[in-house]
Amino acid sequence: MNLNYSEEQIMLKEQIQKFCESEYDFYKREDVVQSENDFDANVWNLFAEQGWLSMPFSEESGGFGFGPIELSILFEEFGRALVIEPYLSSVVLSGNILDNSSYSEKNSIIEAICSGSMHVSLAYAESSNKYDYHNPLTNLSSDNKLNGTKALVLNGANASKFIVSCKSGNDLALVIVDANSDGVSVTSFPTVDGQTCSEVSFENVLISNDSIISSGSDANSLLKRAINLATLCISAEAVGCMTSCYLKTVEYTKSREQFDQPISNFQVLQHRMVDMFIESELCKSLLIKAMLEVDSNSEDMFKHVSALKSQIGKSGKFSAQQAVQLHGGMGVSDELMIGHYLKKMLTIDALFGNSDFHVKSFSASN
Amino acid sequence: MDINFTQEDLQFRDEIRDWLTNGGYPSHVKQKTDNGIALTKQDMIDFHKAVSAKGWMGYNWPKEHGGTGWSATQLYIFNKEFGLGGCPPLLAFGVSMVAPVIYTFGNEEQQKRFLPDILEFNTWWCQGYSEPGSGSDLASLKTKAVKEGDHYIINGSKTWTTLAQNADWIFVLVRTETTKIKQEGISFILVDMKTPGIEVKPIITIDGDHEVNSVFFTDVKVPAENLVGEEGKGWTYAKFLLAHERFGIAAIGTSMRQLKRLKNIVSELDNPELEKKVTELEISVSALEMTELRLLSALENGGHPGAESSILKIKGTEIQQTLTELFVEAAGEYALMYPGPHGFESNAKPEGPDFVANSISAFLNMRKVSIYGGSNEIQKNIISKFVLGV
Ligand SMILES: Cc1cc2nc3c(=O)[nH]c(=O)nc-3n(C[C@H](O)[C@H](O)[C@H](O)COP(=O)(O)OP(=O)(O)OC[C@H]3O[C@@H](n4cnc5c(N)ncnc54)[C@H](O)[C@@H]3O)c2cc1C
Repeated sequence: MNLNYSEEQIMLKEQIQKFCESEYDFYKREDVVQSENDFDANVWNLFAEQGWLSMPFSEESGGFGFGPIELSILFEEFGRALVIEPYLSSVVLSGNILDNSSYSEKNSIIEAICSGSMHVSLAYAESSNKYDYHNPLTNLSSDNKLNGTKALVLNGANASKFIVSCKSGNDLALVIVDANSDGVSVTSFPTVDGQTCSEVSFENVLISNDSIISSGSDANSLLKRAINLATLCISAEAVGCMTSCYLKTVEYTKSREQFDQPISNFQVLQHRMVDMFIESELCKSLLIKAMLEVDSNSEDMFKHVSALKSQIGKSGKFSAQQAVQLHGGMGVSDELMIGHYLKKMLTIDALFGNSDFHVKSFSASN
Repeated sequence: MDINFTQEDLQFRDEIRDWLTNGGYPSHVKQKTDNGIALTKQDMIDFHKAVSAKGWMGYNWPKEHGGTGWSATQLYIFNKEFGLGGCPPLLAFGVSMVAPVIYTFGNEEQQKRFLPDILEFNTWWCQGYSEPGSGSDLASLKTKAVKEGDHYIINGSKTWTTLAQNADWIFVLVRTETTKIKQEGISFILVDMKTPGIEVKPIITIDGDHEVNSVFFTDVKVPAENLVGEEGKGWTYAKFLLAHERFGIAAIGTSMRQLKRLKNIVSELDNPELEKKVTELEISVSALEMTELRLLSALENGGHPGAESSILKIKGTEIQQTLTELFVEAAGEYALMYPGPHGFESNAKPEGPDFVANSISAFLNMRKVSIYGGSNEIQKNIISKFVLGV
């Protein structure tokens, strides 16, 4: 047994850390949040240049063929630095579906995603589905017309294509649609953590047979796997946030003096920070377990991702809330990073099923 | 033992309910608070003026100063009913913070000059206690006031000053003397916000709102007559004031109203896990309400509950925070979206539950309640020292 990262993985981790330190400090992040559609093309190009956008794609598709371990490393570092680039939607969710599909045009689209020139968003959610992504109301008729409204489409404002989950007869289908097709309308809204998500409506949008990426049990499996991988990624991101939360809180309490001493002298605060540390270590353990299961494509991989996500929902909010509390007034100021970790944890808990949901999923797969 | 209110108290309660539902509570304000829409400065003024017109502004003042002279029980009922009725919290800074200090320690001139305007809500007050280096350890404050002739010259900075951008006056704790014991040498001074040398800078909080500020003082010249009580006694007055701040800290009425809203929402969701959490919270609310009533009974029967009232602050704020957490959980996946403290534009509302924007805003905003007014850690220190004696 060896639960350490390989040398290459450590190098990747250091490369990302260095990038975040030199190119993506909190002020830079604020600039990105302020820019149109919460997106900065220069940063995205840098991501492409580093090869990060190609990372998880298979070598046949022109990628590096990196797996869930490397993705987790990337997301953990993103979490620590609160990177808000739309990596999850294009590269992980849409990318994973395209890469594993037999869609005829996939190579050119993957190439465009890897080069940073195209965003593709996965439209998986609807207002009524309560995390049940496999029974959409959006419908593809027998004459190939798509009708329905998808909710919470991550990075929808920047996407030039959508992969849409819909029902075709009794089957689930995944279709790909140009954002500028007739009958597509996109309304975008800000997310808690400073990104955008969109409501995308389809009104009699004509879908060619070629644009049906997958249907039936294959579509179910593609969607389930992509969401599972994305859930792993945001959980890794949460672990990064939690690590930063305790480290930054320790640092702050050592430097903040009240009653003529650093507030880190107060034992109640010491124990609270120890709790934050413990929660973060436990989540890290579940993360390692889950990423190894996903890496080996095991039957149990969904179950272990559920274990991870359910714990993240509880421990992540606890850590971020305590970080805010121990910073006192500074914790609720928008100018400090610390409150933004709490907002990130809200986002992560809301995505792909919260803690209660994943406890149920875990227990159902027992 | 008798858990019932007296007939008079029940009549009093009905009078308040009547005011709340039959046009006393200004309808344009009620309409906004019912729908979770942020109030403007003018809305706040209208609301306070309406309370004042009814004669309830001096809710915790003795009669001799124009107050209601209510008993502790009446005060409790008033607060609870206002919360249940969905009123915005009454701004404490004037009526329940600075005013009791002025009528207890101020001179007659000051009482005549300031109290009527507070009762009529003609002046908006803010509280200048905390400083960048002095939060929990308030007595370490450094803002200096130096006496020059018949003026004080104030230099320094205050922070986290709630709604200073709206305020006409600020009451500040300043250091008038450097002493060995830091609690000595502090004075309590009233300052007109229009005085040259005062600069108010917004601090934006994580909900995206502008509620707090930094207030900078550069050679601010304040007439010596604005000193309240004696020079160097400010700490005593500040502690006296903190005792008054306890009023309504448990926010029972408000929490009960929110709980009811939450139960309605959750009953539609078919989510037993969440229902259980809501029920557990309902039990906590009940325990807190009864605890407050026990303290009230002790007070009405000649007792002097002291540090025990910190329980109300700790549990009251925990309940308020948990409520906001459960609203966010009820929003499910939609909790991803947050348009900011003023909600979605009416012409661009997403599908999904309409309480989302509001819930996130409340969740983020309510993080403050366990930090301010003596943080919950400080409250626990108080209980362990003064109640447990350790
Ligand atoms: C939204 C908001 C509005 C406010 N409005 C006003 C206002 O209008 N006027 C005003 O004067 N002030 C106001 N405050 C300031 C508030 O009173 C302070 O934030 C509070 O006193 C805590 O001080 P601090 O922020 O400096 O935190 P610190 O005192 O630095 O505390 C940091 C952490 O250390 C803990 N801690 C400190 N000392 C101890 C100890 N001895 N034992 C254990 N734990 C300890 C605290 O509990 C906290 O978790 C406001 C604050 C907020 C957040």
